[in-house]
Amino acid sequence: MSDMWANLMDSIISTFHIDWKIIIAQAVNFGVVFAVLYVFALKPLGKLMKERSERIAKGLDDAKKSNELLQKVAEEHKQNTIKLRQISIDAQKELTVELDQMRAKNLERIKADNEEWTKQRKEQLEIDKKALVESAKSEVMTLATLAAEKILARKPMDELKDL
Amino acid sequence: MATQESNTVEEVQEEISHEITLFAEPVYHVGNFNITNALLTSWAVVVIIIILSLALCSKLKAIPGKLQNLFEVVVDEGLKLCDQVTNNRALSVKIFPIAISVFFFILINNWLGIVPLGGFGLIERGEHGLAFIPFLRGGTADINTTIALAVMAVVGANIFGIVSVGLWKTFNKYVNLKALGGIFTKVRKDPTVIIVAPITFFVGLIEIIGEFAKMASLSFRLFGNVFAGEVLLVSMAALVAYIVPIPFLFLELLVGVIQALIFSILLVVYFTISASHHDEEYEPARHADASHAGGEHDAHQNINKPARPNGRSGGESIIISSNTA
Repeated sequence: MSDMWANLMDSIISTFHIDWKIIIAQAVNFGVVFAVLYVFALKPLGKLMKERSERIAKGLDDAKKSNELLQKVAEEHKQNTIKLRQISIDAQKELTVELDQMRAKNLERIKADNEEWTKQRKEQLEIDKKALVESAKSEVMTLATLAAEKILARKPMDELKDL
Repeated sequence: MATQESNTVEEVQEEISHEITLFAEPVYHVGNFNITNALLTSWAVVVIIIILSLALCSKLKAIPGKLQNLFEVVVDEGLKLCDQVTNNRALSVKIFPIAISVFFFILINNWLGIVPLGGFGLIERGEHGLAFIPFLRGGTADINTTIALAVMAVVGANIFGIVSVGLWKTFNKYVNLKALGGIFTKVRKDPTVIIVAPITFFVGLIEIIGEFAKMASLSFRLFGNVFAGEVLLVSMAALVAYIVPIPFLFLELLVGVIQALIFSILLVVYFTISASHHDEEYEPARHADASHAGGEHDAHQNINKPARPNGRSGGESIIISSNTA
């Protein structure tokens, strides 16, 4: 049995030219390939790909955060705009009210001033009228006195001529 | 002088054999060591891989160039393929460097076997007259190369198993002392263990033969496919020298990729099986627990679907059957 097995193995070895030295040489070749690929290709490439994946993941995360922040800011902006509009509307209303009040006050003041002025003018006019009347009276009296004096000093024919 | 000239003319007129041999032919001798054309091709492969690796290493950038892009795609897709076998990214990352190295080594060896440079060679007088010996022969068309790779794959898988699950568990996979010990500890609970345990122990011994079968299947499958391809190409070229061999060249390019892929995936399968716990198969209760545990157990469970008594995985059988097809 063992002879048959040995013969079979010998036959296989001689047919395929199996040589342990070449097997070791090929194993060494593969060892070199593995070492070179691992050290110069797979390890640095893996590191780079990992770093890039992390960077991309971080970038995506940041973008997500930025988007959320942007939405938050946009929402705040919207709220602020609404608030500002409300404030503006309120201010406008207050201003309108104040303006109306001011206008009313001004109107009242102007009216009052006007009335005062009118009153003053009337009083002034009254004073002027009285002064004028007094002046006219004294003037008339003077004229009458003068006329009486002239009448008394003239002859009756002169008077007729004058007439 | 005249005799010498007539001898030379006779030699030239003598027909030169271009037959492809089953073994790699020696092209140079260094003392006792024969440098075969397959070994020469393997050295060329080593040089090509060193050049490619250094070129890649020197041009590594965050924004990849063409070469880096190609490597990144290969690495990324290779890892995904590993994940399909292991179901565990951490395990894939551990196995992947050796699997991709095997893939590139076999692939370039396969492809170098079909380059037209095989036309350069020596004319030597052999047992059957003058014979043409090409300088290049596909490294994997020599059984010595495939045996070296297969032995490394199987031994490497067992070393990986020892590192991953421990020496005792790996040892018990082959010499199942734990199962024999179970006769004394479990006989009261389960009397059938008296019958089951020796069978389990025997199955473990068969596993040892299985490891040698793995080596044989890996090495002869690769050698057979690549060598058959070379024979096919030579036959086609002998029948019709032009145009007709071209489709077969493309076929061989494809076969080169497929064979490299099959070898690499089988290597990943062997490594994954070695890294998983083997005693689960003999302890149904624990296996049920493990199937719910996830992680590494999930990987094992996936590979061993459907679980077989001899421990050969379903995943492996699928791959082998696809290869046969």
